[in-house]
Amino acid sequence: MFDNINNILGSINSDEEGGIKEQDRLLPIANVGRLMKQILPQNAKISKEGKETMQECVSEFISFVTGEASDKCHKEKRKTLNGDDICWAMGSLGFDDYVVPLKRYLHRYRELEGEKANQNKVAAGNNIEERQNNEHCNLQGSFYGP
Amino acid sequence: MRQAGAYSRILSRKTGPHSLPLARIKKIMKKSSDDVKMISGEAPIVFSKACELFIEELTKRAWINMTNMHEKRRSTLHKEDVASAVIATDVFDFLVNLVTHDNNCELKEDSHQVIMET
Repeated sequence: MFDNINNILGSINSDEEGGIKEQDRLLPIANVGRLMKQILPQNAKISKEGKETMQECVSEFISFVTGEASDKCHKEKRKTLNGDDICWAMGSLGFDDYVVPLKRYLHRYRELEGEKANQNKVAAGNNIEERQNNEHCNLQGSFYGP
Repeated sequence: MRQAGAYSRILSRKTGPHSLPLARIKKIMKKSSDDVKMISGEAPIVFSKACELFIEELTKRAWINMTNMHEKRRSTLHKEDVASAVIATDVFDFLVNLVTHDNNCELKEDSHQVIMET
């Protein structure tokens, strides 16, 4: 794991990374700056370098947690990293305070995805019925209501 | 590419808008190690929330740290304030090298002095 971190630090310290653009390894400074401002007093300002440092820290955070979650998946012989793995990795690395809000967020997201999938199924079902009715009408030459 | 759009629309109705681009988060995840092959759609979404929490925590600590250490009130958060917060917090140990090995900034851990080259 320390080899991973050294590789990541090495790539962060160099300006170019063989094909990967500088801006792709960082989250947008506007978004990061906005989140920082939201938590500070109204009169507070943040220097550009302060925001840039935060950008670097966030990317490192993502890599750090992903690495831990990925190790777990690898050990359990799973190929796909999911939301539960991320939550587990947070707890494992000491970000205990994040675990409960993240699990709640993930649960909410899954609920909404489930609702969306059901809505799509119903809509698809209605479309199939309409098509069958129309075909029937064309053959018979008369209109059969739904 | 507005890949985040669909999820933003769904979640904004209930949990608030996404503040961070999901596609970019996914890129950073993939780059973190060769072992990372497949990422489920929900993983970047969990990270977008986690990064919000992370930024909030580090920013808060940086601000409190700064106001505690400086007798004259400052209203601008600087790079060294973020660095100090990292050094002072155990859970941010993984960031210590990142904030101290920099060409532009030297941070002395013992005294809280900062030397910056402009």
